Amino acid sequence: MDKEEEAPQIPRRTTRSLYSSSASTSNIVPAAKVSNLEALTINDLLVGGDPISLDDITSSFPGRSSQIHEVVRLLGPLNSPLLPLFVYGGASTGKTSIILQIFRHLKRPLVYSSCRTCYNQRILFESVLNQLLLHRKNMANSYTNAKRCERPSDFVNFLREALTGIVNNLKEKSEKLISEKKTHDGGMGNMIYLVFDNFHLVREWDKSSTILPLLFNLYDMLKIPEVSLIFISSTSPDTFYSNMGYVEPIPIYFPDYTEGDIRQILLRNQANQKLYSSFLDVALKPFCRITRQVGELATALKPLYEQYCEPLSDKGKGVLPSEDMKRRLFNHIKPHIASSLNDVFKVSSPSSREVETSKETKLKGNPKRSEEIADLDFHMSTSAKYLLISAFLASRNPATLDASLFDSKGGSDNRKRKRKASEKALEKKELLEEELLMKGPGTFPLERLIAIFQCIVSVADEPSDEDEQNNEELGAQCGNGSLMSDVLLQLSTLCNANFIFKGKSCPIEGSTRYRSTISENMALKQVARSLKFPLSKYLYRS
Amino acid sequence: MTMETEGENHTVKALNLLRTRICGTTFIFKDSPDSNYSKLKFMISSSVAEACNNSILLLGPRGSGKIAVLDLVIQDLLIQFPDSISVVRLSGLLHSDDISAFKEIARQLCMEHQLLFSKAASSDDNSQFMVAVLKECGLAHKTVIFILDEFDLFAQGKQRLLYSLLDAMQSVSSQAVVLGISCRLDADQLLEKRVRSRFSHRKLLFLPPSVEDSQRLLVHMLTLPIDSSLPSDYAVEFNRKVQNIIDDRRFKEIFDKYLSYDSSVKHLLRFLYCAVSHMDLQIGFLSRENFETAFSSIQRQPKLECLRNCSILELYILVCMKRLEVKEQNLCNFNTVMKEYKIIHDSFQTSDYYARNVCLRAFEHLIHRELICFTDNRGHSLSAEFRPVKLLISSAELHQGLKAYQSCPAILQKLIEREV
Repeated sequence: MDKEEEAPQIPRRTTRSLYSSSASTSNIVPAAKVSNLEALTINDLLVGGDPISLDDITSSFPGRSSQIHEVVRLLGPLNSPLLPLFVYGGASTGKTSIILQIFRHLKRPLVYSSCRTCYNQRILFESVLNQLLLHRKNMANSYTNAKRCERPSDFVNFLREALTGIVNNLKEKSEKLISEKKTHDGGMGNMIYLVFDNFHLVREWDKSSTILPLLFNLYDMLKIPEVSLIFISSTSPDTFYSNMGYVEPIPIYFPDYTEGDIRQILLRNQANQKLYSSFLDVALKPFCRITRQVGELATALKPLYEQYCEPLSDKGKGVLPSEDMKRRLFNHIKPHIASSLNDVFKVSSPSSREVETSKETKLKGNPKRSEEIADLDFHMSTSAKYLLISAFLASRNPATLDASLFDSKGGSDNRKRKRKASEKALEKKELLEEELLMKGPGTFPLERLIAIFQCIVSVADEPSDEDEQNNEELGAQCGNGSLMSDVLLQLSTLCNANFIFKGKSCPIEGSTRYRSTISENMALKQVARSLKFPLSKYLYRS
Repeated sequence: MTMETEGENHTVKALNLLRTRICGTTFIFKDSPDSNYSKLKFMISSSVAEACNNSILLLGPRGSGKIAVLDLVIQDLLIQFPDSISVVRLSGLLHSDDISAFKEIARQLCMEHQLLFSKAASSDDNSQFMVAVLKECGLAHKTVIFILDEFDLFAQGKQRLLYSLLDAMQSVSSQAVVLGISCRLDADQLLEKRVRSRFSHRKLLFLPPSVEDSQRLLVHMLTLPIDSSLPSDYAVEFNRKVQNIIDDRRFKEIFDKYLSYDSSVKHLLRFLYCAVSHMDLQIGFLSRENFETAFSSIQRQPKLECLRNCSILELYILVCMKRLEVKEQNLCNFNTVMKEYKIIHDSFQTSDYYARNVCLRAFEHLIHRELICFTDNRGHSLSAEFRPVKLLISSAELHQGLKAYQSCPAILQKLIEREV
């Protein structure tokens, strides 16, 4: 995700074992093999990495110092018990990274499990227990879990057992340290912290009727003062209401970054701070009106900055911008800002960009056009394209009009009907339009899809001579009767690629219904044009 | 060691002491004899002493200290009758189905009596085992105390567990106490007829403390002991400062306001916990400001916070949806919102008019923020543009949020105000 922009020098959220092994050596594979053989110790519950001071944390997370101090205060000094905490705030506000870094600073053991990777209750239970029992899946135990547990009741029993074990272990360790007087601060302390990340996802598990109250009440159920729970969620506590009720944990709120904070974050790791800052003066404000998520802003601003630097000699690496130059650059970038605002979220795939750069020299005459053509050619067989078009038509057109549209005389009928548009028909059209906006594309049975497919393939046969060979093939297949199986295969491919949605079988008719999910733009511009198929002629326009 | 670090050592010790008190549930009820405490103790101890069966319901809102008081009672009784009590604890959250409930009872009874527990035993075996153990315990004049937390969840379904428990208690030889704990005041109404007739209808009601009692509890929680490892002059000074804060009129205002939301004991403890955590270790004493920050950090207004995070475009979408709602267009989806957005743009020529895909992303952000949600749960058969949505924010909140938003465009406020 987009945690990197916030804390560039700290690696992304990783599992702790990975974290420590990759930190120690770049040659990961042999290191991992070696560490596989060693048994895990309680030290593996610490967040890996070099010790970090609180000041380092606050400086690496701009605009978060009050939250960091609040968390540290609530966690309290060594060995002090903790009521459950509930950390919440929008996406990319630094919740997880800050919690992990604070634990790295405090050097206290924690059990981290994300409800995104542990996507159901059994996996969550087993992951927590594996970590607590210092169990590592490997070849020797054929990658099994430490405990098999599915029921919440088993989980609580195992958890209590494992926690008492760990807590005793910790206590022994700190007593030893104190008696040996090795450290004056008592080392890791006796507390163990269970962190549940992405907690909002739990609400969707089996309607969350039991698991959510269980986790919220876990602290009261366990009654082990050395254990404490931290929930990290991207939605506020009020979205967790259930009719069970629970004593609310202590909330800690991470607000979204303000414009000033975003500025500071984006400025980090820029080669030319002055130039970038003058760029942000111009560009940041309009972009902030659209979104305030750092990750999205960073990706949106990157190409714009490249454009901003274009007039400068060496892409703006060593330039100190003067007032005059700023004005010049501002005039240069101004027209681009408005247009780039509208493709803030456009995802440009890296491959197409590579293609673009490689072809740049050749196609400089009309780069826009060539790009489009490159986009058009998503690799799909001709019959799949026809199938996609027929699915689109089946979803858009009312089934009653099929006969008139696809009849051999269909075209003329269509025109006649259009001419006779009366008041009533107009009203009807409006209603239909409204319905289309609300309901979206309609569903259709397989038979209708096949019928339309055959119609348009046969129509496409007649006028076009270019595709003759192709159509002959299709025709031949038709004759052999192998077309059907081929079409079904193509259809399932399209369903898997999410171009066509396959619904559950209809209880009344008993057949499966389909729905096309592609937009009109894509159908018209990309697929139909690549086939030179007159799609608009067949589209029932209300 | 210098004087300074020593001083800080005291404060850390005092802080740890206070936090341990707050997190441990029993301290708050110690030394302040609750009337429920003595009643409950009398009921259980008399049924243990007279070797009879009993069943009691402890009812009260969540966080009112039902389990804490019960734990204190059980602790005392275990000292009073060390050999004639065994306790079985179940929770409705974990054992609401009969199979796991019987299994857990068998497991705990086995642990208690040093028997070997078989995981493979069937539910029937387990229930027969329970009846047998109850009989044996009755012959040995030993009382088994069953504590059923979240009692209302046991009353779902066929109530086989409750029936077989209470039915076993009807025989003369057995000797058991069933304690049901529930937040539902109508928990006994949930029972089936055959179960209800076997239940002795004793109920203990746990009510949240009055404001005066809460204040007394506060003093009880925050007063440091003079005769402990802490230096006595520090403890005396600390207690004096606490008393000063409590006497402060401004503190009383906050305290009353806080308790007016929820005056249960647990809620009070959360407040104390936050205040104590905010104590400055350098100074080493609590201050009124600690309580003020605690109050503002616990009492949150999530919807308004959410609005403050929104970008301008997201606010536009919210306002559009609100307008559609006022127009009584009961179903709306992204497309209708876009139509409204265009109408607004056409009639007011706003500077914030963005392309459709940009708006769609802003729309998705709003869904992630849970300011709007899909009305159907059918999920993924339709793309997001077509699925009907509804607002999760009231117009008053939206109004207030827009006012508080610093750089909110004037046109948005006008659009909202025209209708209010």
